[in-house]
Amino acid sequence: MIDTLFAGLIHGSVYALVAVGMSLIFGVTNVANFAQGSLVAVGMMVAWWLGTSLGWGIVPTILAVIVVTGLLGLIMNVAVISPLEGRKPIAALLATIGVGQVLDNGLQIIFGPQTRPFPKLLPTYNLQAFGIRFGTSDVVMVIFAIVSMLGLWAFLKFGKSGQAIRATSQDPDAARQMGIPVKSIRNLSFVIGAVLAGISGIFVGLFNANINPMNGGTIGMTAFVAATIGGLGSIPGAVVGGLVLGVVEALGISWLGDGAHDLITFGALLIILIVRPQGLLGKNTDVRTEPLTGTFLGGGRPISLPWWGNLALAVLALATPFFFSDYLSGVGTQIAIYAIAAVGLTLISGSAGQTILGMAGPFAVGAYTSAILTTRLDWPFLLALLAAGVVAAIAASILTFPVWKLSGHYVAIATIGVGSVMVAIIRLAEPLTKGSLGIQGIPFANVFGQVLYTQQMMYLLDLVVLILALVVVSRIRASHLGRVFEAVGSDQEASEAIAIRTGAYKALAYAIAAFFAGLAGSLLAHQYTYIDPTIFNSNMSLLILTIIVMGGMNSPLGAVLGSIILIGGPELLRFVPDARILAYGVLLVLIILFRPQGLFARKA
Amino acid sequence: MFNLKKALVRASAIVGSIGLLATTAACGLGGDAANAAKNGTADSDTVNIGVIYPQTGQYAEYGRLFKQGFDLAVEKVNADGGVKGKKLGLKYFDTQSDAKQDAAVAPKLVADQSIIAVVGDYASPASAAASPIFQQAGLVHYGFNNSAPTFTDTGDHVWTPQIGQDVYQKANADIVAKSAKKISVVYIENDWGKQAYQYFKEEAAKNGTEIVYESSYLPDSTDLSPILIPARDAKPDAVVDIGYGPDGALVINTLRDKLGYTGPYFGGQETKEFLQLAGKNAEGTIITGSFSATGTQDSKAQQFVKDFNAKYGNNPGNFEVTAYQAIIDLAYVANKTEPTREGIQKGLQTVTDIPLYQGKGGTFKFNQTNRRADNIEPILLIVKDGQFVQYND
Repeated sequence: MIDTLFAGLIHGSVYALVAVGMSLIFGVTNVANFAQGSLVAVGMMVAWWLGTSLGWGIVPTILAVIVVTGLLGLIMNVAVISPLEGRKPIAALLATIGVGQVLDNGLQIIFGPQTRPFPKLLPTYNLQAFGIRFGTSDVVMVIFAIVSMLGLWAFLKFGKSGQAIRATSQDPDAARQMGIPVKSIRNLSFVIGAVLAGISGIFVGLFNANINPMNGGTIGMTAFVAATIGGLGSIPGAVVGGLVLGVVEALGISWLGDGAHDLITFGALLIILIVRPQGLLGKNTDVRTEPLTGTFLGGGRPISLPWWGNLALAVLALATPFFFSDYLSGVGTQIAIYAIAAVGLTLISGSAGQTILGMAGPFAVGAYTSAILTTRLDWPFLLALLAAGVVAAIAASILTFPVWKLSGHYVAIATIGVGSVMVAIIRLAEPLTKGSLGIQGIPFANVFGQVLYTQQMMYLLDLVVLILALVVVSRIRASHLGRVFEAVGSDQEASEAIAIRTGAYKALAYAIAAFFAGLAGSLLAHQYTYIDPTIFNSNMSLLILTIIVMGGMNSPLGAVLGSIILIGGPELLRFVPDARILAYGVLLVLIILFRPQGLFARKA
Repeated sequence: MFNLKKALVRASAIVGSIGLLATTAACGLGGDAANAAKNGTADSDTVNIGVIYPQTGQYAEYGRLFKQGFDLAVEKVNADGGVKGKKLGLKYFDTQSDAKQDAAVAPKLVADQSIIAVVGDYASPASAAASPIFQQAGLVHYGFNNSAPTFTDTGDHVWTPQIGQDVYQKANADIVAKSAKKISVVYIENDWGKQAYQYFKEEAAKNGTEIVYESSYLPDSTDLSPILIPARDAKPDAVVDIGYGPDGALVINTLRDKLGYTGPYFGGQETKEFLQLAGKNAEGTIITGSFSATGTQDSKAQQFVKDFNAKYGNNPGNFEVTAYQAIIDLAYVANKTEPTREGIQKGLQTVTDIPLYQGKGGTFKFNQTNRRADNIEPILLIVKDGQFVQYND
């Protein structure tokens, strides 16, 4: 027991170290930096190279990592984040996702894909307590975490630049009028955050012992959960959150087994958000700020086509399956399926202004519902398709029910938790879902006796569902209900003032989005004929959100365009096989930089 | 006010739409295969095998090993005269072993008439997402790395020469039973690990081996102490891990370095990656495998090891040899029949002396009911002085 607790504390201090950097950036720039984990991986890989190939010691390695990650942080802010200043923070958030992808894949190309042992820059298992061995490395790590926390706190409180950083984060305009060089101050905070990430990378490498250039994603996500548990923006909170998460995971896993790892991590996140939304040490006032809400660029309006334009587009789309080759139709099915999931999201994230980061959850529920109904109960496909949507909507509504009393970015973060918890439950509900084994032998879709077995037939079905989804969503947008969603998204306080129950309307918009995601899941299941929980990962959630950002948050047609680019993109980029995913990340960043309101929306 | 221009645009949009609909009725939804039957197949002096594999992404290390085997095999086939006088080529498609990308790219392989068979992918979910498309098009899907027992259920064009996990895990449980009565088992939480553990557990029960602790772990977990502490505290005679290389190394390193466990360990993977990661902790671990570069008695396999060393400077492992053999197999059956899609399918159904490099070598044939290879026997491998060598008990 005591040994498990102790092991949890050590692991927790790793989380804490990374979370401190994350919280710093969030606190002073209001940017949720999803590339932070990748910067940790940069520090880790650079240290691996210096320590292994050049045999450098700990001190020169740390200095070199500081230089490299510091420069990267500066470049990232100057080239990507600062041009997006003044826009809604969701733009910066998505840009950091693109930067993360570039960094992860860049590291893989530079250093190769293997998992490798991290050089023992400090002794790792030379000490012992409570039946657990640990190393000087762990002791130094804990000291470094505490020192960096105290140092940052003192710097922000008493240092001149530190005070300037805080002033800038509270009100950049006022800070500028007081003569603070806001640009340099922002650069400074990004450099500090990146350097912290880089140094953390060395300690994460020492702790994990086996490292891989693609580790950044997981490191970043867990640190983000830790920072949220502690209270986003609070630096002592990040440390507490990291330690708490480490201990809770250790005890929970010891009790339930590591198969329940995700359920424990994201379940803990959800419980904290519901019981104490601002996190353990966050200030209560944080909850009122809503940096992640609202449309991509305030006032971005979707481009709308006249009725005959829509008709012509629909007919043109419906004609494509008859001309497309198998390959084009195959890509078309994936584009259409993801577009169906994304179209519904324009209602909640576009109109009602609530960013949703967990769409893989309802997507998975839909896929599993349809698969189970057709394979076990022999339901006809069309009925199962409909049931997939309905069950996904109900499951999503029940699980997110407690979330709507939260506000702002906390809802967005909670939906990450809801999405992951849904998939974790599917993995554990073995008698029903066969868990990790997956469900095989799902029949092809059968519409009125016709089995859809070619790519073209499936593509046609996907298009029909997509067009129906577009019609329904457009009608809702034009209806009174749609206007209410818009009102909630434009100004929550004002809506409350005219007696609109904003939480209830957001829940309704989310249920509709979940319904369409469920339909998409069903179509996917009957095309792949095999599903297992690994298909519905957090990348899928991010992808669906990115699709509508790319097209224009509140533009249903934009969602289709976004899907064409983001799903078709990796296929089009096959001519550069090595750098395919890297090029994709660059493309994402460029589009956000040069057309921030979305491709299919015009600036107000 | 009547706007002539606007009306004209509207009218043309509508007329155009109707026209489009009318013309489409002439074409069908039958797909490339149906159209190709009309147009005839492409004729040239090169035939290709399509490869779907993880060139990038989290499984890229396996993709790299596979590619070494594929490239060497194609060189060998062409040096020996190709397939019925035609040159054999490879067409690589990176999927990251991601189901979404497999489903999207599969029709591209189907449409390429120079591709006569498909090998890959690394992971079963990704492979399974592509299978129905190849099955439907009458293109052989040779899932040489897919040991999931349900893999070939998709249809009669889906084959795998991979030893089933039922056979592997029986051998695994038997060797464990020789030295341990009480064991702690951990296994990787995915379709492969779950299935493998079920088979292991069945055989362990038959052997009367008592499992005193069990837990799965997620592939991306970085700290396994919470499950390995109770595994150690259950005082087992041995700890067994059913997983891959990096996680196998994490398990043994945590047990030895962090938790001070000194008893026997069964687990790991026959890759350089595992040996490097586990270092001296790997010493003495025993796993089941299908091939040992230093232990094989088969003459063509010994030649393969020599060629592999000449080209890449190290001994091939199980991943390289299965990839190598996949290409050799397909070329062999194509030579016995004809280098076409139909020929490959017919060859796999009728040829009974397909060259075998794994196990005891010689040849093998397919079991026609489940399209798996029946007569390949697993072997045992032990780590001695930092290398996997064949273990004969």
